[in-house]
Amino acid sequence: MKQELSDLALITIILEGDTAAYAQLVKRHQRFVFTLAMRFAKSREDAEEIAQDCFVKAYRALGTFKQDAKFSTWLYTITYTTAMTFLRKKRLDTASIDDEGGAIQLENHISDYNANGYEKASGHAYLNQAIGLLLPDDAAIITLFYKGEQSLDEIGQTLNMESNTIKVKLHRARARLKEKLQYLLKDEVKELI
Amino acid sequence: MKSIDEQIWDYIDGTCSPEEKLDIAAKIASDQEFNLAYQEMLQVHQLLDAEQLDEPSMSFTRNVMELVDLEIAPVALKTKVDNRIIYSIAAFFGIAMLAILIFAFANASYTMPEFKLPKMQLSFDFTPYVTPLSIKIFLFVDVVLGLFYLDGFLRRKLSAK
Repeated sequence: MKQELSDLALITIILEGDTAAYAQLVKRHQRFVFTLAMRFAKSREDAEEIAQDCFVKAYRALGTFKQDAKFSTWLYTITYTTAMTFLRKKRLDTASIDDEGGAIQLENHISDYNANGYEKASGHAYLNQAIGLLLPDDAAIITLFYKGEQSLDEIGQTLNMESNTIKVKLHRARARLKEKLQYLLKDEVKELI
Repeated sequence: MKSIDEQIWDYIDGTCSPEEKLDIAAKIASDQEFNLAYQEMLQVHQLLDAEQLDEPSMSFTRNVMELVDLEIAPVALKTKVDNRIIYSIAAFFGIAMLAILIFAFANASYTMPEFKLPKMQLSFDFTPYVTPLSIKIFLFVDVVLGLFYLDGFLRRKLSAK
């Protein structure tokens, strides 16, 4: 059985000239990078653009990767900064979903939800909806913690924050998520939460 | 003082101390309000844990590789500068200095002319400046520099692990 090469081994091969090996790195990390990009972009097309952009940026800078941290942490840092730049470019109002505006946003999302005919939506669809209602930073921290297999220290490196700050932000993000879920699910909340 | 939510999240994430863990477990078992909050948070945690990653389009890898093929192949920075070039430059300057030295010695006259050193009036007295306080300041600065070095050394060692 063919043994899968580690990220660092693949990077060494790429730097030695076998650039086609980069496809393996892309395949390995594309789902998470895309998911993280979705936390900022909201549409699949934009998220794919961000994800592609960050893989190209990572390729260009591969020679500068110091290999003293995980490749995934380095890649997620690029994803985060690329996504933030994208948000600034698109001039999205990232602060629109605050405590005061949340209810209005939620109603819109619920009506969109029904209009799209997702009547048999699962708990995961609701969860994605609720994550979509969070601020991008909160959504990114939750995604990095649960799906990125990143420790608080590594998330701190990615977002350029102290790990204690990340811990507090994670607590708050989950509390907000619980609120959003409770609002979205209403009666079904007792079943899922 | 941690809030109930913080205590429970730490308990769920496993980031609390063993003593805190026992304390929270006891509260969950005895306090109904605490238990209800724990159950709610645990279900959010489990929901998040079981969440699936989004899948990009089927052509994603191909699209990225098409873009990547247009880029210059990356090279490790440390191999960008060929060591042979560095050694050649060093050898050139080394040989040049050696040649100048040999030429100078070869053409030097080894007879010692008679000369007198000019008399200099060095009557500067340092003793008023060498006080216990100045020595303490000097040692303190040395200790601070030593700690900086130790910190950097330990950080490098930690990151190398």
